Amino acid sequence: MKNPVVWRSLVVVGACLAFVGAQHAAPLRSAPPGPALTPQDSAFHALNRLAYGPRPGDVPRVVAEGVMRWIDRQLSPDGIDDDRWAQRERRFDILKYDRGDLAALYAEAQRERRERKLAAVADTMADKSEANPIAQRGRRLAGEFADLAVVRAALSERQLFEVMVDFWTNHFNIYFAKGADRFLTPDYIEHTIRPRAMGKFEDLLIATAKSPAMLFYLDNWESVAPGSTPPAALRVRARPLFGRRPGLFGPVRDPARQDSVRRRALERMAKGINENYARELLELHTLGVDGGYTQQDVIDVARIFTGWSIERPQQGGGFEFHDWAHDTGEKQVLGVRFPAGHGIDEGIRLLKLLANHPATMHHVSRKLCQRFVNDDPPDGCVDDAVAAWKRSSGDMREVLRAIFHGPDFWAAENMRAKVKTPLEFVVSAARAVAAEPDTSPRLAQVVARLGEPLYLHVAPDGYPEREAAWVNSGALLDRMNAAVALAAGKLQGVTVVLDSLVATGDADQLIDAVNEKILGGTMSENTKQVLRRQLADISDPTQARALAVGLAIGGPEFQRQ
Amino acid sequence: MSISRRVFVKSGGLALFSFGLDPLFLARAAFASYRPLPPSTVFSRPILVCLFQRGAVDGLNMIVPHGDPVYYRERPRIAVPEKDVLDLDGYFGLHPRLAPIKPLWDSKSLAAIHAIGSPDATRSHFDAQDYLESGTPGVKATPDGWLNRYCQHDREHQDTPFRAVAFGPQLPRILAGTAPSLAIEDLQAFGLRAPQPATRDRLTRAFEELYAGSATGLLSTSSREAFDAVQMLKRLDPGQYRPANGADYPRGKLGKALLEIAQLIRADVGLQVAFADVTGWDTHVNQGASEGQLAGRLDELGQALAAFTRDLGERMHDVVVLTMSEFGRTVRENGNSGTDHGHATAMLVLGGPVNGGKVLGKWPGLDPAQRFEGRDVAVTTDFRDLFAEILARHLGATELSAVFPGFVADPARFPGAIRG
Repeated sequence: MKNPVVWRSLVVVGACLAFVGAQHAAPLRSAPPGPALTPQDSAFHALNRLAYGPRPGDVPRVVAEGVMRWIDRQLSPDGIDDDRWAQRERRFDILKYDRGDLAALYAEAQRERRERKLAAVADTMADKSEANPIAQRGRRLAGEFADLAVVRAALSERQLFEVMVDFWTNHFNIYFAKGADRFLTPDYIEHTIRPRAMGKFEDLLIATAKSPAMLFYLDNWESVAPGSTPPAALRVRARPLFGRRPGLFGPVRDPARQDSVRRRALERMAKGINENYARELLELHTLGVDGGYTQQDVIDVARIFTGWSIERPQQGGGFEFHDWAHDTGEKQVLGVRFPAGHGIDEGIRLLKLLANHPATMHHVSRKLCQRFVNDDPPDGCVDDAVAAWKRSSGDMREVLRAIFHGPDFWAAENMRAKVKTPLEFVVSAARAVAAEPDTSPRLAQVVARLGEPLYLHVAPDGYPEREAAWVNSGALLDRMNAAVALAAGKLQGVTVVLDSLVATGDADQLIDAVNEKILGGTMSENTKQVLRRQLADISDPTQARALAVGLAIGGPEFQRQ
Repeated sequence: MSISRRVFVKSGGLALFSFGLDPLFLARAAFASYRPLPPSTVFSRPILVCLFQRGAVDGLNMIVPHGDPVYYRERPRIAVPEKDVLDLDGYFGLHPRLAPIKPLWDSKSLAAIHAIGSPDATRSHFDAQDYLESGTPGVKATPDGWLNRYCQHDREHQDTPFRAVAFGPQLPRILAGTAPSLAIEDLQAFGLRAPQPATRDRLTRAFEELYAGSATGLLSTSSREAFDAVQMLKRLDPGQYRPANGADYPRGKLGKALLEIAQLIRADVGLQVAFADVTGWDTHVNQGASEGQLAGRLDELGQALAAFTRDLGERMHDVVVLTMSEFGRTVRENGNSGTDHGHATAMLVLGGPVNGGKVLGKWPGLDPAQRFEGRDVAVTTDFRDLFAEILARHLGATELSAVFPGFVADPARFPGAIRG
């Protein structure tokens, strides 16, 4: 890196050669990292981007394997042995609950809360739901679920897969604290996102469109053709469809009362199309805000999705298509005609059209390049990804492969060019000190504290990819605090083993070890001097080690990836 | 108006009295504070404190239309009895537990805006809070909050680490965005945490050196702001703060947040926008009338606001406190002696610059025909009209179209909460 110009051109030449090769030959193994990049540097870079940073010993392991071979293996997660994590995963009780169980638990907690309030003496200040054991259990499970994401990211061997799960969780964002999504979110992550995180984009898009969590979050479950009436309303038995209180519309015989119940049911009923999902589908999930669609397109997309709803939403039911609510008229989206008389099939047709639209390819590829290469993604990276998308009909593994084989991924200006997000910071810190977290929500709480609580981004755009969104003075101080606490073994529920990381020795040995094993050799002269000064008067070796590691993880080099 | 305000801001407030701002803010008798204006007053900047009544406050039991028989007819169990209401103008009155802020009404430093809310009809807390905070009703994808956008576009104010502060564990949506803003849960715990002050100082110094020497880009500027803030707070010594004028903050989160806000205002650290949440307003069940659940929440609110204004005394001259809530509640009580999600609500505005002693906004009436969808108080004031007025006339904002995209802020529609 002494002569950046020469270095860059070498990288570009190397990468071009590699690329020419890629057109003809089978998957590349080891070409892209430029000659000026040491094997350690490229392993460190790859571990910082495709993984949540290195654990002790990861860099030499990847060097020994060859970085491109390691990348190829990460692109086929099913082939990676992850038994150790599979064992650990069983400790998470939340995985034993399906969405119906969680809905029942939630309903029970709500009922208890109501009863408590009804029974409460007149002058209670606020409701003391803390005392409610069912609500407590619900909260514990929710905390455990947030922690599961952090612990998986820290411990799973399928690192790129976990990174992609996080990417799609943000791309297809939902909000854990919105009504039924309190019990639909775990199912969404486990059964909608995860099985498709490294498959075809089209499959993932269709799965999210049909997921109860998304249907609820963006209100599509309530979107009906204007003037349509559910058959159930005529029978006055349509309980959950209309309201939040299943008990309200029980079987009723008295005709007068029945009329009033029907009136109230109809009053509560959704009265027309809801454009929320349609708009975000075009703007965020597929085409992008400049994707060339019009407000009329949004309306027709919403019409196409009328009737895409949820069976018994308050009881954790699944996807259900309501014929009666579907607008069967003709629609036109992006100039494509959707003839009258169709049902659920036209929604699927539309999703396939959108998934393979050039604007979608560009929009999603750009976000991937932003994630893996630079907050301001280079055009070349986006072009490579789009080309791979076209070749592979949207196979995410091929798109990712193109990005990792491209020159931009390895370019000097993109090394350490990104600041870790709160999740990336916490997970990489836990990995750096070989932490063993339990199932308590401790690490997830740190992520939240740093500004990006899991599954709790309100707006449908997900947490942004640009650093300006999360780098600020308060959050930075909190990173320092988290680093010091983690290194000192003071984060409850997280066991830290520094022995294997750094043998105790004199200050210089300690600093060298921290530089090599935690900072991948990127420690600045200034940092070395500061550490040396700080360690000068500390005689206890354990204390010295904790301080050096804490300062390194809380310091500026570790914030970058 | 906004132009002269900018002049004011630029000239450091020397022209203070030429704007007709009444220097005798707050009838002094009410606050027993006869101290002369401290020098800092002259140089201080306008400050906005926003309190979010998260959960949808029942505007009708906060600012009670006791002059309307429909109110009593629709709420046989939860209406505040005529004899308990603190009358304001013959038609509206304060809930009795808001008695601590009645003196502010009498000194014309407190106004209420009734029938205010969102043009969007949603009755979902989630959506309505989102719209209130993003400032873009009906548009979900807005990435930032309107208070943050104000900070982005008004560059007149000097950026200090404490310019925009939310009191709570996380930055709320309303302050999310690219302008620097802080979330502070506890002033005393802000900065590096260590059991001993010596360890704390040592860690602070070490990290400061690390970042000063090696950080680049945004990490560099943010870390500099962070350590400036830590320095400022160290001088401030928040643990030693004693409220002035015998102000007594109620225990609980709101009292603590307002105390810390008062402390930052007094410390002149450049605070311009402060925010805190107040929860517990979603009164579906057993809401109560003069006493009960809602009364308990209003009691805390009233006491906290009274303590805050008492503590700040003359400094209230430059402070506006605004309460907001995502929507109001049904006119008719429900089967559980509570109220369900409605539409318009009431918001309070108090402080020196406030055009007080009035219930502002156009009152739509409570008759079923006048209601929104036959059940809720109709919205006659878009909340953005109030927010825009406060930003323009109090903080001196000029780029309202950037703060509220897609909305034309028209002074003719401002409810008149700030004295012109």
